[in-house]
Amino acid sequence: MARYGMALDYKSCINCKACESACKEENGILLGADKHRIWVGVKDIEGIFPDLSISSSGFEPSQCQQCDNAPCQTVCPTNATYYDDNGVVRVNPEQCILCTYCMEACPYDARYIDDRTMTVDKCNFCSDTRLINGETTTACQATCPTKVRIFGDLDDPESEISLVLRARDHHSMKEHLGTKPKLFYLT
Amino acid sequence: MNFKKILPYNRHTFSSFFSFERTPLNVFMLMLTVGLVGFLLYGISVYLQHGHHAYGVTRQHPWGLLIAMYVFFVVSSTGLCIMSSLGHVFNIKAFQIIGKRAIIGAIIAILTGFLVIAFEIGHPVRMVIYNVLTPGLTSAIWWMGTLYGMYLFFIILEFFFLNNGNHKYSKIFGLAGLIVGLAAHSNLGAVFGFLVARPIANGVFFPLYFILSAMVTGSYLLFLIYGWRYKMKFPPEVKKFMVTLAQVLGLLLAILIFFEIWRALTAIYGMMPERGDIAIHMITSKNFLIGEFLLGMLIPFVVIVYSRGRAIKTLVYTSITGMVGIFWMRYDLVHDTQLAPMMPLKIREYSLPPGLVEYTPTSIEWMIAIGAIGVSFMMYYTADKFFNLDHDAKGH
Amino acid sequence: MKTELSRRRFLQGTVALSIVGATAAATALAKTEHKSKSKIVDFGLTKTQWSDKLEEIPTLCEMCVNKCAAIARVEDGVLTKLNPNPLFPKSRNMLCARGNAGIQALEDPDRLKYPLIRVGERGEGKFKRVTWDEANEYIKDKMVKIIDEEKDNRSTIGYCAGEGMAEHTYASFMGDKIGSLNYVNHGSICLATTIAGYTLTLGGYGQADLENADYVIMAGANRAEAIVTPDTMDMFKRTKGRGLKMVVVDPRFTNTAAHADTWLPIEVGTDLAFVLAMTHVVMTEERYNKRFCEENLSDFEAYKKHIIDKNYTPEWAQAITGIKADDIRETARDFMAHAPRAIYYQGRRTAWSLQDYQLRRAQAIFSAMGGGIDKKGGIIFGKKLPLGEHSIPSPMYDNALERIEKSKAASIGNSGSWIAWRNTIIDGTAPYPVRAFFAYKQNPMLSIPNTAKTKQMLEKMDLVVVIDTMPSDTVMMADVVLPESLYLEREDPVKSFGGAEPSIALRIPVVEARYDTKPVIEIMRDLGEKLSKPLFEISKKYDESLQEEIEERGEKEVYKEEGYDLADGYRHSQETINHHMVSSVYGEEAWKTLREKGVFYPDMSKYFKKVSANEYEYYPEHKKSYSIIKGDLNNEPYHDTCVDINEIAVLKKKFRTATKKIACALYNFEKRKGVDAMPTWRSELYKETPEGRFKFITGRHGQFTQSGSSNNALLLDLLPENYLWINQRIADAKGIKFGDTVEVRSSIGAIEIKAYPTEKIGKNVVFFIHGFGAESSELTLAHHRGANDNAIIEDVYETTFGSAAMHETIVDIRRV
Repeated sequence: MARYGMALDYKSCINCKACESACKEENGILLGADKHRIWVGVKDIEGIFPDLSISSSGFEPSQCQQCDNAPCQTVCPTNATYYDDNGVVRVNPEQCILCTYCMEACPYDARYIDDRTMTVDKCNFCSDTRLINGETTTACQATCPTKVRIFGDLDDPESEISLVLRARDHHSMKEHLGTKPKLFYLT
Repeated sequence: MNFKKILPYNRHTFSSFFSFERTPLNVFMLMLTVGLVGFLLYGISVYLQHGHHAYGVTRQHPWGLLIAMYVFFVVSSTGLCIMSSLGHVFNIKAFQIIGKRAIIGAIIAILTGFLVIAFEIGHPVRMVIYNVLTPGLTSAIWWMGTLYGMYLFFIILEFFFLNNGNHKYSKIFGLAGLIVGLAAHSNLGAVFGFLVARPIANGVFFPLYFILSAMVTGSYLLFLIYGWRYKMKFPPEVKKFMVTLAQVLGLLLAILIFFEIWRALTAIYGMMPERGDIAIHMITSKNFLIGEFLLGMLIPFVVIVYSRGRAIKTLVYTSITGMVGIFWMRYDLVHDTQLAPMMPLKIREYSLPPGLVEYTPTSIEWMIAIGAIGVSFMMYYTADKFFNLDHDAKGH
Repeated sequence: MKTELSRRRFLQGTVALSIVGATAAATALAKTEHKSKSKIVDFGLTKTQWSDKLEEIPTLCEMCVNKCAAIARVEDGVLTKLNPNPLFPKSRNMLCARGNAGIQALEDPDRLKYPLIRVGERGEGKFKRVTWDEANEYIKDKMVKIIDEEKDNRSTIGYCAGEGMAEHTYASFMGDKIGSLNYVNHGSICLATTIAGYTLTLGGYGQADLENADYVIMAGANRAEAIVTPDTMDMFKRTKGRGLKMVVVDPRFTNTAAHADTWLPIEVGTDLAFVLAMTHVVMTEERYNKRFCEENLSDFEAYKKHIIDKNYTPEWAQAITGIKADDIRETARDFMAHAPRAIYYQGRRTAWSLQDYQLRRAQAIFSAMGGGIDKKGGIIFGKKLPLGEHSIPSPMYDNALERIEKSKAASIGNSGSWIAWRNTIIDGTAPYPVRAFFAYKQNPMLSIPNTAKTKQMLEKMDLVVVIDTMPSDTVMMADVVLPESLYLEREDPVKSFGGAEPSIALRIPVVEARYDTKPVIEIMRDLGEKLSKPLFEISKKYDESLQEEIEERGEKEVYKEEGYDLADGYRHSQETINHHMVSSVYGEEAWKTLREKGVFYPDMSKYFKKVSANEYEYYPEHKKSYSIIKGDLNNEPYHDTCVDINEIAVLKKKFRTATKKIACALYNFEKRKGVDAMPTWRSELYKETPEGRFKFITGRHGQFTQSGSSNNALLLDLLPENYLWINQRIADAKGIKFGDTVEVRSSIGAIEIKAYPTEKIGKNVVFFIHGFGAESSELTLAHHRGANDNAIIEDVYETTFGSAAMHETIVDIRRV
């Protein structure tokens, strides 16, 4: 039993999308512009050439925030969305009725429809493709050229992620919604 | 046991079932119904082949026209149920004539709503199974669905007892239907109101607004049903009821307009992101100004105020605009809730940063949504043939 | 593979190889025992299943030129995932989007599957499937005819190659065995000027030690999008106030600029003025590392005088570059304040302007003035682990003539000047005809400026043979198409990667070769078997030295020992050759490690450590090869207030240049070839952009590797097509909105492309990514997607090395 989380040193991100493609290859995500578990958001730069604001530009790698208090789980009428033993928010496709209420409820746009099973799918920290087979990390973490991500057990005080979160400033997305994300952006 | 005794119904042969007075209006309604059902069947056949790809729904806008149409139908159902309860539950005299006809209308409306939602929910059969096996008790959809199921059960029983004249049981099940219906319907409002991530929808407004707008919808439908039933030649007690209904409707519309004004003001005030901007976009859109406000509220309200509720024939016609307005209310509530993108950054290099989420229903969605109205016409015709839906001499 | 260019009887190579053959063959069998089902996973992606029949096979990526180490997860013969191999110091445990998308390259249904011979008109794209033997027979007939008619002038067979691990296998067959001198590769459209400029100045191109640098000027280099390992990984972990200060000089605001401390948008083609002005600042303010310059730079005072005499002031440069004089000053001072841990980044694809070579020289000298050469945090040379030799004899052909474009630039090397070479063929100035053309892993139809001329050249040929994996535009122009196995299906020559942390890495097949494809070594072997005897007969007819030799030693012996058996170096499997090259130097254990782990370096098992999920240590700090150049210690007391005495080089180093010092002036080159001895701004070589028109620049992208990945389903999902960057205000004035189709017209052609108005580019520049716009209808996804930059880039080249000048084209934009 663990409580998995991820810290993102997002300033290192160069928007190369290795994470997105590794995720698609590992988890067999269908191609298509709106079929992605993870993505890199690009802030459009402000200013007028040549006086552009470098600080306004930047990249924001993101995915399911693995909330401890996940709105998508609360609203699921059949409990198809559930927390697994490691605190990972997952979907049981057998139980999903595709009402897409979770897609409405997710504050992060982290869910999409898998056209093969016709159920809602999302990032599950590679639980069924890597963690279950003894790998200790996710595909996106492993492949990242600039090593943006640190994945690990938040309940283990000695884990790398715990150490980093104790030492470095960080924030989460839309914290005010009370979703308690387990993705942390290192500043 | 004689079934007819338990549930009195009219016997029909094939030809007698299809025989009706060949007035131009009737013929028009027949053609309209056939056309609508044709659309529906075609739409369904395309949906069965292509699934949600046949719809205009997207990752950012997963709920579309069919959800709006579902809301439209179930609001209609609840509205009819509430309005009919004014008579036989709350004993308001003028409303006591609207028993069976309103209840059968409520049954038909919710069945049509369920029909529509079956083509929106990806796995309706699985829904029934896991609704029971693994109930999501924190889910407004679970409560809404379950309560609507119970509601349907109660109002069918209510109709049953109304029909065989068992007033005690019809009253009990009528009251149960009303309470469960109100619960179900406000839960439908909560489906939207519980969306913490969407400030434009989040809060107490929708659960209350749904009940209020249901009563407005119920009133419009009663005008239409009675206008059709009596072909504008109303008996005195019906006339009296309709004038009272118009006056009640005027009051309801006034409250609705009052609700909407405060909703808009509180949403815009302070221009909170994803709330103020969306509200401005909402109330300046044609859907709202023409669809919701002009057709759905202002025209009927002006007619009522101007005629002090006596222009009941005009009100039958304005109820058509009223229902169009109600449709846009449902459409907008679904669409506007989803206007603000939850991920506001662009994720592909050569694209514009996401603005307000766009959605255009496909023709298939329109066919299923509008076509479903044909099904309710069909059901109404059938019910009218088999049952005696008019009030009896005692006012029931 | 190394070939001996002499008539010496040199047989050790082949003899040694036959000894190691047996064991290697056994390993090969073990590896391929697992039968592939060759299941087509079409465009969909397979979810990792972790089946019982799971293998993890290390290999090297070939989705771009970096050669990152990957571990392939193969389940039931199906490749389901490519993961990074943490053992490789160069790729630092990463695999980018393209690396991950390798599976799609393997599964691409449009791949070349069988040998083909053209049946329709050339360029029509009509082919028939043939056997390898039929294809080779066809090639043989044509070649025999050509070489016979040209009296054994082997140079009438032209050939080109793209960068790749097997490039040398192919090039040595075409050049050393068949004997043609007319070779062109990617150098002259890529980094020829930089390699030359740095090598002539510093003795080598070196490697920017971005892991330890404190300051870097990235001029035109876009490491966030044009990924180079390990540079990309090393730098972006430390930008944005985290240790590495970065100044980006680029006409565009790139993803690299997004990480910069300062972004200096520069007028296209004026980088030399910028560097000269910075040099001027440092010279006049005496901010350079005096001690290092005195010890290690030759003709430094002359260079100083040159810079000051020419008056290359920041104000002068401001008028040319558009960069404020104060910004130039500040950057120069800042650079020297951080030196020697300060780097003016060398750059990679540097075929920009007519003054490229001098620009690279000026950069190298500027970097050197801070002392950061052969020094941690500066430009380092590092070590390279030696590999064993694989030598084969190569014949000398008396009648093979010098390459045709030799006189078109001051110094054209063995890899040629693509543009000059092609233009010489089509404008009729060649001293003899080039009648056949072989292309391997290069797509000149899209990669060489002026596509129309490339087409014209190919149309002139009597024989066009293309070896590739995809039906590119060049394949469409071929007479014979030879399908190469994909990198995931073949073993390539083992490669040693130099640097501070040197290693050896190996590409081995992870799945069985599909269809009727072969690795290049086998393609060469088969061609060799087919061509050897008939071509030998022609040489016998025309080659007098050969006739004498035969008379002396007998035909059989000469044929064998002088290497006229063209297939002789290609009969061993690649695995056998690799085995020999590794085990002969490092022993059997090393070879075993390399095959098992994909990577080897001495003491790897001792040195390699996982520090954290994201950090790996390859060598202990004191074992890293930062400073490798030996020299004499100079102990004289020296007072230099500008830099920390402990930090600067006190060694008088022996650089690998002619003078053993960093060369500020190259007087010989000037004397012999008329090339400026010292970097000098030549205004006659600079073309200002006329009002209302635009300079066109091209570039790379992180999710797209030139035309090679243009049909990759996963990558196209991330970047569906290229768009024209145009300044927002200019676009507004022209009524051009996002996504509108615009026409871009230059003096040589016009293309249509969608517009991307943005403030990230100046008002007189437009840009789009190279590699899109394929015409080949056999590429289902790439066909007519986006635009081809080389359809509009003028075919001009700089005259020192004949390198393409791709940023000298003026274009007009019009809304369609």
